[in-house]
Amino acid sequence: MNAAAAAVTATAASAATPAVSVVLKDIVQEYPKPEGGVTRVVGGVSLAFERPGINVLLGPSGCGKSTILHMMGGVRPIGTRTPTSGSVLIDSRECHDVHDDAVMVFQRYANRPDLTVFDNVAFPFRLKLWRKRVPEAEWRSRVAETIEVVGLADKKNLRPAQLSGGQNQRVALARALVLRPRILLMDEPFGALDAQTRTEMQQLLVRLYEATPCLVVFVTHDVTEALALGDRVIVLSAQPAKVADDFAIHAPRPRSASWQRSTEAVKLEERILDQLHKAPGSGQVRVTV
Amino acid sequence: MAEFWNPYLTPSDGQRRLLGAGAVAAVLLLWSGLAASGLVSPTRLPAPWDVAGALSYLAWNEGESLLLMATAWSVGRLVVAGILVVSIGIPLGIVMGASPRVNAALSPLIDPFRSAPVVALLPILVMWLGIGEAMKIAFLFLGAVVYLVPMVRDAIQAVPQNHWIGARDLGATPWECIHKAVVPMAMPRIADAVIVAFSVMWTYITVAEYVNAKVGLGQLIQNARRFSAWDQVFAGIIVIIVLALATYQLMLLAKRKLYPWETQQ
Repeated sequence: MNAAAAAVTATAASAATPAVSVVLKDIVQEYPKPEGGVTRVVGGVSLAFERPGINVLLGPSGCGKSTILHMMGGVRPIGTRTPTSGSVLIDSRECHDVHDDAVMVFQRYANRPDLTVFDNVAFPFRLKLWRKRVPEAEWRSRVAETIEVVGLADKKNLRPAQLSGGQNQRVALARALVLRPRILLMDEPFGALDAQTRTEMQQLLVRLYEATPCLVVFVTHDVTEALALGDRVIVLSAQPAKVADDFAIHAPRPRSASWQRSTEAVKLEERILDQLHKAPGSGQVRVTV
Repeated sequence: MAEFWNPYLTPSDGQRRLLGAGAVAAVLLLWSGLAASGLVSPTRLPAPWDVAGALSYLAWNEGESLLLMATAWSVGRLVVAGILVVSIGIPLGIVMGASPRVNAALSPLIDPFRSAPVVALLPILVMWLGIGEAMKIAFLFLGAVVYLVPMVRDAIQAVPQNHWIGARDLGATPWECIHKAVVPMAMPRIADAVIVAFSVMWTYITVAEYVNAKVGLGQLIQNARRFSAWDQVFAGIIVIIVLALATYQLMLLAKRKLYPWETQQ
């Protein structure tokens, strides 16, 4: 990180977001099957997130972890009651719909191909909600700052087609961060990137988090990613998802490759894989060697 | 032959133009040959040079240009109908694409007309609107709008859902999700729909001007037919084809300028 970016991060840190609590109570989610009957995707999950930190929801692909994440953001699938039973509480208020405490980052970044990087990051301020709250001069400087922090300052006038997958995901991340959310929900954001870019993005996320801690919930099926990022790792079983394990990692970040090979990390990895093997079912996890 | 039968190997621009021009020249040659040999009577197939003569006669004779007048009137009708098609059809298509309920209600009223004999509606329009300009514009409008609306709707529905979800998550109102996230993504396909609508209107222009047109390309052809001036009929048809092609190419060019990102996705 160059000096200018470091200075920007420092100012961003002074504007740390106020703490927030997210509580999931006995979440059950069922979807109707086309041939009749129901599929139980989430089978009774209770979790509490009380303070800033990177919380990783780790589970095999298709286990329902994204469903849980979407509930926290309030983005509900259409035509189905979500959750089927249980409740999501944000600061003790029940969450039924999209709310502006949380912003999501998806694996399929929805960058607009017709807009420049700057305009893509500034997109939220085209919406009434944010235009009313943030005066133009302020959002313009915020957008410029955020673009600099994610390392795209020299690309702010380019369009998504001129960027790589990793750079596009940086745009999506910047669009979320520019709103200074108290909750950042990330749905396998780096899952489609190549190994090297994925590592770079993980390091970027760690840097951004250290500068402006907030409540991050990060969904992944990559065990290595979970160990590299998490303050807390919640292991979910195969569908229907249940909490199989839930532990904290105290090793300081960024966690080097040598930490990844340390006895502590290897033991944690074995512990996670053990938990997942105990619960029968389909779905896969990834371990990057 | 491995190069000949390969759908993924496109020839160079020069080669493509040469092949296209060659085919047109071959048809002209065959046409000239048939006309010169006397095998086909000129009352059935006018010679190319007679058509060329008719074209020049129509273009300029005794200080006036019948062709220019006719073209101006036809283009004028097309533009007026086109403005109506775009300003009514696009919003309607967007609303249908954005709301499956509106679509369920309106699509049975609109979709069947794509395969309905729109030409057969002409007498009905004459009955309702008389034989003036209103009838001609309404006919062109109807003919094109039934293609445009379903295409615009499909363009909206083809936008990947993640754009809608992303906007929703950022706190966009339902309407903002549509007009700030979905519609901009659908614009290239909406532009395609407009191009098709104009092509359709060019094919209907002769029918629209069939009844009581004082001037227009359709009327020019109709009039020539009445006097068995087949060279003028051919000339009129060629002018319409050329104008339709020019419209198509210009609109395609404009679309590529407006939405250069479409092909880069």
